Amino acid sequence: MSGVSYPKEVIRDLIEGKLPWDQVKSMISGYKDDDRFDKYVDVLQEKVAWGERILLPLTDQLYIVQKGSERIVKCECGYEFGDYRENWKLKALIHIRDSKEELEEIYPYPNELDPEYCEIREHYCPGCGAQLEVDVVPFGYPAVFDFLPDLDAFYREWLGRPLPEEKEFKDLTYELTRRWAEERQSK
Amino acid sequence: MNTGAIGSKGPEMQQRSVNKGVGWGGKTLRELWEEKERLYRKTGCYYGLRDLPLWKEDPLKLEVLASRLLAAAIAGRETTRMISASPIVREVSELAVAIYTPEGDCILQSTGIIIHIPLMGQVIEWMINENYEEEVGINEGDCFTSNDNYIAGMHPPDVYDITPIFYEGELAGWVGTVIMEADVGALAPGCMPSGATERFVEGLRFSAEKTAVNDRHLKVFERRARLGTRMPDLFLLDRKGALAANVKVRNEVGKIIQEFGVEFYMEGTRELIEMERRAQLERVRKRAVPGKFHSPTSFEIYLTRTIAPPHHARDRITLVPFDFHIKPDGRYYLDFDGAGSWGWHAANATPSALLGGACLMLTQTIAYDGKANQGTFLTLEMNTPYDTFVNPSSPNIAASMLFSWPVIGGAIWMGLQSRAFFSRGFLEEFRAPAPMGFATSGVVGYAGKNQWGMDFGFPIMEAPGCSGSGGFAIRDGILSDAIILPPSDMGNAEVWELVLPLLWMGRKFIPDACGWGKYRSGPSIMATYMVYKTDLLSLDTNPEGHCERIGCNTGMFGGYPALSGFAKVSVNANTMELIQQQQSLAHGEGYPGAGDIEENIRGDLIIPRMNSYVKAIAKHGDVIQCYMGMGAGGTGDPVKRNSALAKWDLDNGLLTIDRCRRICCIDARYGEMAEEWAIDEKKTAELRQKTRKKRLAKGIPAKEWWQKRRQDIIDGNLPPLLKEMYNDSLAKGERWPGEFRAFWQLPEDFTF
Repeated sequence: MSGVSYPKEVIRDLIEGKLPWDQVKSMISGYKDDDRFDKYVDVLQEKVAWGERILLPLTDQLYIVQKGSERIVKCECGYEFGDYRENWKLKALIHIRDSKEELEEIYPYPNELDPEYCEIREHYCPGCGAQLEVDVVPFGYPAVFDFLPDLDAFYREWLGRPLPEEKEFKDLTYELTRRWAEERQSK
Repeated sequence: MNTGAIGSKGPEMQQRSVNKGVGWGGKTLRELWEEKERLYRKTGCYYGLRDLPLWKEDPLKLEVLASRLLAAAIAGRETTRMISASPIVREVSELAVAIYTPEGDCILQSTGIIIHIPLMGQVIEWMINENYEEEVGINEGDCFTSNDNYIAGMHPPDVYDITPIFYEGELAGWVGTVIMEADVGALAPGCMPSGATERFVEGLRFSAEKTAVNDRHLKVFERRARLGTRMPDLFLLDRKGALAANVKVRNEVGKIIQEFGVEFYMEGTRELIEMERRAQLERVRKRAVPGKFHSPTSFEIYLTRTIAPPHHARDRITLVPFDFHIKPDGRYYLDFDGAGSWGWHAANATPSALLGGACLMLTQTIAYDGKANQGTFLTLEMNTPYDTFVNPSSPNIAASMLFSWPVIGGAIWMGLQSRAFFSRGFLEEFRAPAPMGFATSGVVGYAGKNQWGMDFGFPIMEAPGCSGSGGFAIRDGILSDAIILPPSDMGNAEVWELVLPLLWMGRKFIPDACGWGKYRSGPSIMATYMVYKTDLLSLDTNPEGHCERIGCNTGMFGGYPALSGFAKVSVNANTMELIQQQQSLAHGEGYPGAGDIEENIRGDLIIPRMNSYVKAIAKHGDVIQCYMGMGAGGTGDPVKRNSALAKWDLDNGLLTIDRCRRICCIDARYGEMAEEWAIDEKKTAELRQKTRKKRLAKGIPAKEWWQKRRQDIIDGNLPPLLKEMYNDSLAKGERWPGEFRAFWQLPEDFTF
């Protein structure tokens, strides 16, 4: 235990990018605060307009929340993507930036980026149109599942307070694509 | 000769009996190494230290020991900088010093090019296991030099000088210094040639060779360096600087041992390693979230465009899928399953190089309290499938760019770790990836005749100080944040000008080149040079650039990756004429597509592709421009960018109004009187709303994309190089091929 703790207002300012740099620097250089996660989640919970309990922030716009007995990925706008063990990108809207004009919009200088080789995938929230992730990968690469947290191990072993109804730590994305393939076959 | 080491009992003590080892207590180093390994396997603790008796008895004493050793390593590093003549050492500080146990485990390290710290330890281990103790002899005043990646290392220009530390006739440890050389006598430009396909064209190799006795370099070694390199004075002064650093550190360690007592030193240094092992696990458990993270990296190698032997001259793209696991016990596990084949090119990686990359990443992002050592690396496990890109089966591979994955993939790993920090709430530790150092920048290696008419070869290493970082979670990225070389800056142009036939015409930011996001990546610098007093200058453009058609996946949370580096070369340029006429020259890039070189210089403009020789000779008056950006990622949706930050970018020339409107969706007007931009908040709000609606209209459901792309894969609608890339990984991998086929719902035996 470090004994270090910051007021919630400091954590709020940090999240909002308002904390003066000298204080941020002190946070980096000093001992880490033991209660950071709880205060962090408290601040975020106050910021969102919906009531489900945040279990884990995934990005600055996406959260894993407890919804009944399920744990789902939810956008700050309220849009729900489904089970956190499925790659949420498969429930999002996707746009491939593949024309010369669209590439030049981002990269105006000499470059060899080639849409035949490379997919610049923009993943949008179907609820609010926020750009949630941009992936730059070889053409044909599976949707990148950035992070599948081991939520139960985290709460049970690191925070010391197990979550109810443990879920198997398993990537369920392939079951989703299996269903899609079956749907296509049945048509 | 009196070596000056404290505690030395003179030559008579070095006459050991055949049965007595040089190690502590008369054991051989091999015996010590085996005992250490056995105890770790048995207990999971370094040297079997389940308890830490010295720390329990007097923690401050141990803390003082650590501080003294750290100070010694840093003092050694600064000593080298006073002796070396190379700007790579003096200006950019591309060196580091570390202190090791007798078994080759790092105890403490200086700042600097820390990617090498565990690798110098591997060289020591290799010498122990090759029985140097009996067959070569390890004596006070010896120095062993190594730049052979077959043993351990990153690439041949990084030369290790390793000196044993004796106390009262017994080996108490080692000190190692690493320096990057400008030239090791390789194929032009002398180090990191783009055309290197096997080790036999990469210049001088020292395979853990004894190069100094009684603290003096052997004449045979000096002669070999004189005849084997283009700039032997630089090479040899670096060696003398390294030797001086080692002697300084060795003497300081001798004083420390005398002060603390040899038993305390030997036991205490082991405890420092075990304490760090535990501290690293604790840091992870406290700052991160366990789970599985994933991102691929691809490496493009186009040997048909450069100069390579016909039997190696082929183009290929190699995939390295990467799973990063944070285990519930705090260990990190890096899984390279699915990595494609190694090849006859210089950009494979090795397990040793990957460990170096891990050292870099960990010491700069989580284990940064000055105590990183072997204990940090004991918490790391890797799966590096044999006979692949990350673990080649041939000892003859070229090694010039062995840091391919470590610096590009390693950056992606850094981004994945940032996700864990972000989820846990430690936003101050978050950083979007920036390929490390100069990996994807427009850096150029030069060779030919210098301004003194002498043969030379030199890569300009100013890039680490010229490249922008990735965006942070709470602020924009910054300039000069190359974690491969944290203390580096770009160096004084006037000093670079002493060793290169170039005059610096400008160092400027260029607009619109950042990775845009709510928080953009740091800006990077374009350097403009005029070729000076030479008529024979050849250029090898970014020998490490391996992300060309496929960019680096560095954006996070909706931010874009920035543009990677590029270069422009104007040969037969009319610069001298322009100078006489007092006309404008080239100094930078004012506006995308309308740079100074195009606007002001009349010549033959070449925009070279990366990782290849420029097929022209530059001469006095020609102009070269190199953009040092590395493709660092922005963080967050650009539409959420604070308009005050965008105004700063507009006012400072980092952003043009065109892209400010199109990417950040912020409108502004330039006030001629005020000479600054004013944000139009109303138009901005409208623009942002319109953009979100546009995204909802143009974005298609992922399911639709999946169906279309799956059909492309089944039909083989991919360029041949990509089909080869996937087939290679499908054949090599054990787990990843199943995941690829399961994602696209392909038959179990699917290949392209």
